[in-house]
Amino acid sequence: MEKQYIDKMLLEMDKDLSKHGMSRRDALKLAGLSGAGLLMGTSTASAEEEKIVKTDAKGKIVIIGGGLAGVSTAARLTLKMSNPDITIIEPNPQSVSYQPGYTMIAAGLWEKDDIMYDTDEFLPEGVKLIPERAIYFNPQENQLTTDAGQVVSYDYLILATGVQLDFERIKGLEEAGRALSGGNNDKLMEALGDSICSIYTEQGSVKTWEIMQKYIEQAKSGKKTEFVFTHPDTPIKCGGAPKKIVYLTNARLKEAGARENAELTFYPNGGAMFGVPEYHDAIVGQFARENIKYHYRHNLIEVDKENKIAVFDAKWQEKGPWDPVMKDFEVIPKREKKRVPYDFLHIAPANIAPREIAESDLGSAAGWVPVNKETLQHIRYMNVFSIGDVAQLPMAKTGGSVRKQYKVLADNLIAHMNEKKLEGKYAGYTVCPLITDIGTVMLAEFDWTVKPTPSFPLDPTVERWIFWLMKAYALKPMTMYGMLSGRA
Amino acid sequence: MQIQFELAKYNEELDTFDLDETLYQVEISEEDAQTYELLKSSDLNLYNWFIEADFFSKYIKEEVYPKGQHKKIAVCDINDISFRRFFFFKVTSGDSHYAYFKKLFNIFEESDWQDREEIGEQILEQLKSKRLELVRDLTEDEESESETEENTTVESDGKV
Repeated sequence: MEKQYIDKMLLEMDKDLSKHGMSRRDALKLAGLSGAGLLMGTSTASAEEEKIVKTDAKGKIVIIGGGLAGVSTAARLTLKMSNPDITIIEPNPQSVSYQPGYTMIAAGLWEKDDIMYDTDEFLPEGVKLIPERAIYFNPQENQLTTDAGQVVSYDYLILATGVQLDFERIKGLEEAGRALSGGNNDKLMEALGDSICSIYTEQGSVKTWEIMQKYIEQAKSGKKTEFVFTHPDTPIKCGGAPKKIVYLTNARLKEAGARENAELTFYPNGGAMFGVPEYHDAIVGQFARENIKYHYRHNLIEVDKENKIAVFDAKWQEKGPWDPVMKDFEVIPKREKKRVPYDFLHIAPANIAPREIAESDLGSAAGWVPVNKETLQHIRYMNVFSIGDVAQLPMAKTGGSVRKQYKVLADNLIAHMNEKKLEGKYAGYTVCPLITDIGTVMLAEFDWTVKPTPSFPLDPTVERWIFWLMKAYALKPMTMYGMLSGRA
Repeated sequence: MQIQFELAKYNEELDTFDLDETLYQVEISEEDAQTYELLKSSDLNLYNWFIEADFFSKYIKEEVYPKGQHKKIAVCDINDISFRRFFFFKVTSGDSHYAYFKKLFNIFEESDWQDREEIGEQILEQLKSKRLELVRDLTEDEESESETEENTTVESDGKV
C-alpha cells in the first residue's frame, strides 16, 4: 500500500473517529465496549446482564492460567453464580496483556505499552489469585501442587494454561529453550540474535520491528535482501499470524520504496495457505498480486546463525505404483533437507502443551487436554474442563475461538455442578482477522463445517478497510472490557 | 436383475482383510431391485442393506461359503460401487480416498500445518472400529440356525 494511500486512509480514519470525539491515539486507550459492540454487532452489556440467572451451585473451582481464556471464564462464572469460590493460579502479573496486538507492534503500528495490562485490574471481584505456577497434577485426588510447594485442592478444575513455544527443537537455537508468550524472554532474545525474530512473544514483537527496519534500510540502500518466514509442523495459536507478518513486512517495504530489492518467501509446513478453501484461494491470489513467493511442506529444523542459513525439512509427493486392490495409484512421500539463505528470518515456533500438562494424567498422548469438542469437558475426569489453546480441539487456537468457548464452558460447568445434563455446545466457530496490508483485513470466519461463516453480509474473502478499523480499534476494547468481564 | 459383487475375508487374528478375487453374481427380486435403485447413490446405506439382505445370506450360504466354513466377510464392490477403501486404505493411498474419509469422519484439516501422514494415521485409527461395523459374521448365522434346529427337534420330540 502506497504511503499516499495510507495517509489518506489515516485521514479518513481520523475523521471517522473524530465524530466520536476521539483522536486516533486516544481511540486505542479510550474506546469502550459500546464502540466495540457496535462494530462487532454484539449485544450491549446491560441487555446481556438481564438474561443472566444466578445459580446457587457450590464447589471450589480452580482455574490454571490467567490469560484471556482463564480470566474470561472466571468472570463469566462470577456473573452466573451467587457464591462463587474461584481461584486462578497464574504466575505472570501481566497475563491478560493483549496478544493479538503483537503483529501491530511488530509492524511499528502500536507500542508495547498499548497492549500491556495488569492482571490484578481485570480479576473479577471475589476471585482469588495464587501467583504461582501449577507444576504437578493429581486428578485422582483432586489436587495439584505449585512451584512454591503449595498443595491446592479443588472440586472442579479448568485448564487454561495456553501453550509453550518450542524454540529449542530447532537445531542452532537449543539455548533458547521453551518460551511463553508473556513474561521475561531475555534468554530467547539473546538466542535469536539480531537477524532472527518472532512475533510470538511480546519482547519478540518489539524486536521484530527493530530488525525489520534494519533490513528495510538495507533493501532501500540497493542491496538485494532476503526476507524468510516460517510456519511450523504443529498446531499454532493464531495460524494467520505467520502470514500477517509477511504482509506487514511487505507493506513497510513498499512504503519505504524498497520493495524491488526485497525477496519475500514464506515456507509453510502444510500444503495450503488456509484450511478453508475459499480463504486459501484468496490468500494465494494476494501473494501473487504482491509477488510474495511461497513453498509448501517446508518445516524449519535448523538455523546456521553464523552463515545465515535456514535449514528446512522439505517434503513432497510423487506418483507411486498402481495398487491393484484399491485400483488407484499410490502416493509416495519424499523428503530432503533444503538450505535457504536469509537476511531477515521470522520464525513461527512449534506450539506444544506445557510439560506439566502433557506429562500428567490430564494430557493426551500429544500433550493437549482431551476434551469433548462440544462440551469442553475432559474425556476421563468429569470435574475437569479445558478451554483455549491447551484444549485438544480440532479448531484454530485463537482468541476468537475462546470468545465462543468460555460461555459454553461456564454453562456446562454449572450444569455439571448442579448434576444436570451439559447442554452448552461449542460449534467450532473461530475468526482470524488476517491483516493483508496496513489498512486492510480479510476477516476469515469459519467453524466445524470448514466453510466461511461471515458475521457480516459482505464477501468474506475480500480485504476491507472496515475490518482493519475493527482490528485496530474495536477488537482490543471488546476483548479487554467485554470478554474479560465475561460479557462479550 | 443381477448384482455383481466382490468379497474380502476378514482375518480376526491379524485384523486384516484379504481380497477373495472372485466376481460373484446374484439374481435379485423386483422388490429388491427397486430398493437397490433407491440406495445405490447413498454409499453406506447401500452397503448395510446389501450385506443384511436375505438374498445375500442365502447366496453366500449356498454358493460361496457352504456350512462348515466359518468366516467373517466384507463386501468390496457392489456393481461399480467400491467399498475397498474401508478395508485396504493405507497412508500412501490416493488423494480421493483421503477426501472421502476426511468428510466421513469429520476430520478437520488445518492444512496450514497437518501432514498427509498425520491425517492418514487419523483415518486408520477411525477405520479400526468403522470397518468392523461392516463385517458380516457368518458364524453367528450358523449358530442361530443351529439353535433354531435344536429347538425344533426338542419340540418335535416333546410332541412325540
